[in-house]
Amino acid sequence: MPPSTSGLNAAALALVATRIVAALFSPENVLKRDQLLSTPLSSYTQLREGIFLFKHNIDPYSGGTFRHSPLLLALFSTILPNSRTFASLLWTAFDLLGAWALVSIWRARQNVSHTSRDILVAASYLLNPYVFLPTLALSSSSFQSSLTLLSVKYAAEGNASLALFLLAILLHIDLSTFILLPPVLLLLITGPRSHLASPHALAANLLRIIPHFSRYLLYTGILAIVSTSITGGTRWISQTWGATLTLPDLTPNTGLWWYFFTEMFDHFRPFFLMVFTLHLSIYAIPMCIKFQYDPLYATFLLLGVLGTFKAYPTLSDPGLFLSALALFPEVYPYLRHQMVTALLHLHAALLMPLFNYLWLSTGTGNANFFYASTLVFACANGAALIDAIWAGLRIAIGEEKEGYMVVQE
Amino acid sequence: MHALRTAVLKFKQRFKPKQNATITRLKRRKAAVSLFTRHLTHLMIILLAVGYLWLLILPSSRLGRGTYMDENALQPAQVNTYWNWGDVNAADRYLEQLESLRDSNATSHQRSQFLKNEFLKLGLASATQKYSFISNQGDIHGSNAYAILASPRGPRNEAMVISASWLSRSGEGNGTLNLRGVSTVLALARFLQNYSLWAKDIIFVISDGYLDGMHAWLKVYHETQQSNLDAEPLELASGVIWTALNIDYPGHSFSHLGLFFEGLNGRLPNQDLLNSVQRIARYTGQVPVTVYDHLDWRDSSKQSSEPSFLPSSLRHNSEVKEFTYRARNLIRNFGYQAKGRASGVHGLYHQFRIDAITIFAVPATGPHGFHALGRIVESSLRTMNNLLERLHASFFFYLLTTPDRFMKIGNYLPSAVLISVAMIFRGLRCWVDAGWKLNQRIKDDGDSSSDVITWTRRKRHVLHVLTIMLVTHSLGAAIFLSIQSSLFLNNQMFFVPLITLATSLVPFVISRVSDPRDEGSAPIWLVLKALNLCSASTVISTITVLNFSLAALLAVTLGLSLSFSGPSHSKLLSLTKYILYVFLALGWLFFYVETREAIWQWEILSVWFAPFVCLVYTPLLLQAGTVCILSS
Repeated sequence: MPPSTSGLNAAALALVATRIVAALFSPENVLKRDQLLSTPLSSYTQLREGIFLFKHNIDPYSGGTFRHSPLLLALFSTILPNSRTFASLLWTAFDLLGAWALVSIWRARQNVSHTSRDILVAASYLLNPYVFLPTLALSSSSFQSSLTLLSVKYAAEGNASLALFLLAILLHIDLSTFILLPPVLLLLITGPRSHLASPHALAANLLRIIPHFSRYLLYTGILAIVSTSITGGTRWISQTWGATLTLPDLTPNTGLWWYFFTEMFDHFRPFFLMVFTLHLSIYAIPMCIKFQYDPLYATFLLLGVLGTFKAYPTLSDPGLFLSALALFPEVYPYLRHQMVTALLHLHAALLMPLFNYLWLSTGTGNANFFYASTLVFACANGAALIDAIWAGLRIAIGEEKEGYMVVQE
Repeated sequence: MHALRTAVLKFKQRFKPKQNATITRLKRRKAAVSLFTRHLTHLMIILLAVGYLWLLILPSSRLGRGTYMDENALQPAQVNTYWNWGDVNAADRYLEQLESLRDSNATSHQRSQFLKNEFLKLGLASATQKYSFISNQGDIHGSNAYAILASPRGPRNEAMVISASWLSRSGEGNGTLNLRGVSTVLALARFLQNYSLWAKDIIFVISDGYLDGMHAWLKVYHETQQSNLDAEPLELASGVIWTALNIDYPGHSFSHLGLFFEGLNGRLPNQDLLNSVQRIARYTGQVPVTVYDHLDWRDSSKQSSEPSFLPSSLRHNSEVKEFTYRARNLIRNFGYQAKGRASGVHGLYHQFRIDAITIFAVPATGPHGFHALGRIVESSLRTMNNLLERLHASFFFYLLTTPDRFMKIGNYLPSAVLISVAMIFRGLRCWVDAGWKLNQRIKDDGDSSSDVITWTRRKRHVLHVLTIMLVTHSLGAAIFLSIQSSLFLNNQMFFVPLITLATSLVPFVISRVSDPRDEGSAPIWLVLKALNLCSASTVISTITVLNFSLAALLAVTLGLSLSFSGPSHSKLLSLTKYILYVFLALGWLFFYVETREAIWQWEILSVWFAPFVCLVYTPLLLQAGTVCILSS
């Protein structure tokens, strides 16, 4: 028996209420300095500093600290008031928007107006600690997650202009999201419906992405012009996009880049920066080719790639990937090692704050401790990603027959 | 010729794959996996056995290595000391005045005023600080006195502390006074300002009470808020404190100096500090050093501490004596560290990243007194004065088995980790068992019948099990909140049985209320057991780096007990097991004094042992108990 609509509404209300209460009573002052929850590119403190400088007619990009996009600067210098409570509520509202987008994607994929599973999908986003802790820390990465989901939502619903516009904004906030462009373009010319169990070659004409692509370029260009006119110069390019490519700030985070580049000799730095950036982008096209029959799944997998390998990740990046897993219940029976992945995540989630504390607060540990725990985290994310790829491919083969074995070679 | 050709052919045959290479590889992989799973039980037993044995042989003299100085800047025991009999005389005069204060039953305010005046007479900047803690177990009021010797040759942004508490650590602050410790600090203040070689400020703190006074002083010095602390702000300030020495001298003379080093929540100071003081005491002061107040078996003429069940030939064996001596030291260490208690006033410094130890003058009839102690402290201060950066070179994770031997983290950590690995293997085994069902049917093909084994998938009700786990943890939180109330603390005898009874009923309700088990899904208890073991193992392995003693204690109590949970065929046996688990989970409530102490430590000093027991340990065992009474 499907649960009644009123019951579902009550559950949804309870979810929203939980999040609002959490937002009102969260210790932001402790959380906003947490290195797991915000990076130099997404930290609330730095955003406030940038706004302060901006309002006092000092170019915030002339120093070395402010690395948020001019779009965020313009947005928040108009709407961000001094009240902490309002900021917390605003960030929670972004999350609610993200959850709504996730549910819409789920409905679009199922091609129904509502399902009994909607509330589970929403809960998987709103109650995911990786997602809501950065929100409580007022990190702009949760803003980014919501934008990603909204963009994918409009792409799944066929609303090309909004999807591409949001994706262009996303590119301005975080350069590494350019790898989401190919699957979103594919999604626009095919559709969000699940074809994982019945793979087929791309039915639509690939040339149809060209107008979409040019539109995307146009939006990006316009936004770049807007950014330049907001700040009155092009210095923002090296401070925001440049930061993603050249890694000037080595503040520790959950990703794999910072430690590697602290240890790096300076004359190898450009080469390895190129290797790391290329490595990130190398996944986009193969994923799209392999999952050309289901670009939504390719988008999902690329979110996992971003969460594992991007330059300045926070917990909300892998959190977005894990929450998006709720969109694909058809692959669950084919996941091979959910328990191992879950345990790896549990270990990493406990070890990362612990080792960060031992290194930076008590001084009994050192950087290697924290780095080791981020490696555990990378293993956890990698395990989840690999399992998701396997399950997405495996589902096409169907039930295993007696005496046969399905392997990946 | 022919023979050679056949040999070559045979040789070729041997290395030519008989089948498709992929199939061979798959078969090999399958064989490896099945070998692993077949022997998994043995592997777990081996891991558990090795882990427990490792814990048992930790005190062995064959493990570990000698301590050594790591920070070259320290240069311990390399200076001439100037502390002399005149200073001893000054200390004696101070002692007389303090004794008259004691005999006149001076209030803590009068005491601190006296101390402040004495410091002022010496020409030092001095002040007092009143404080009060509000607690359900009675409020605490007191007054600290402190003085600052400004560094004659430094920028005054770094400092070291010499402190003594009014109450001695012997008897954990039960009223033994630390008069000689206080007079040592006063005499040192008089003596040290005659020298211009101090590159750091020296702060002299005479804290009131045992732990409370110093806690209040440090909290205010570092400007951290504590809701139940009301303390005056400090009038005098200095720089960042790097190191601190706490002097505890309760007797009238001493034979050994005992080193106390465990801090709050299992923190240890950098080993270089211990090693410096140990070397200085030995070479400059010529005083033997011990760990805690345990005298080395070679030194103590008293009766031996070896267990009496050993035959006397073994008891007098030097190897056994050495082992018992080290075991006593380790057990003392585990006792402090696992409970997160500080073994002395020094333990309060560690939370502010200050390396500190207590030098404890082990009471005896001789031969040492102020003369030796003053020289040792003077030389230690010279060593600490040499520091150019925080102590960082030596170890922060170690087990000190004797004053000059220790174990590195790699030598002791694996013991607890191996046990936790065995638990996680067991948990994963249960998880796999829960997911698959064995179907055995007889296949009859005409002339012969054979067993055909097939495996089918079953559904695991993970969400349901997670709810059960959430309920037990909330129950732990409820217990934690209730035992902090003054109502509970005043009527412990009445409430403890009540809480125990109420808590032990909840798993019964859980097991009755819902069993969503439909045909062909995994039994709830198996899934619960799997998740219970996995989470317990995760807790143990993460705690090892934070507080090894606590992790070892958890490994000992949970390692075997959680692995053996599960419903039995007979109802009675299941119930007995359940009662055992509840006893393990809640038995600690019946140690009234210990419970009160743990709550006090949480309220005043933020020692997280009490919340940890309530929120993690008890729920884990309650889950194991629930596993036993769920229907199989």
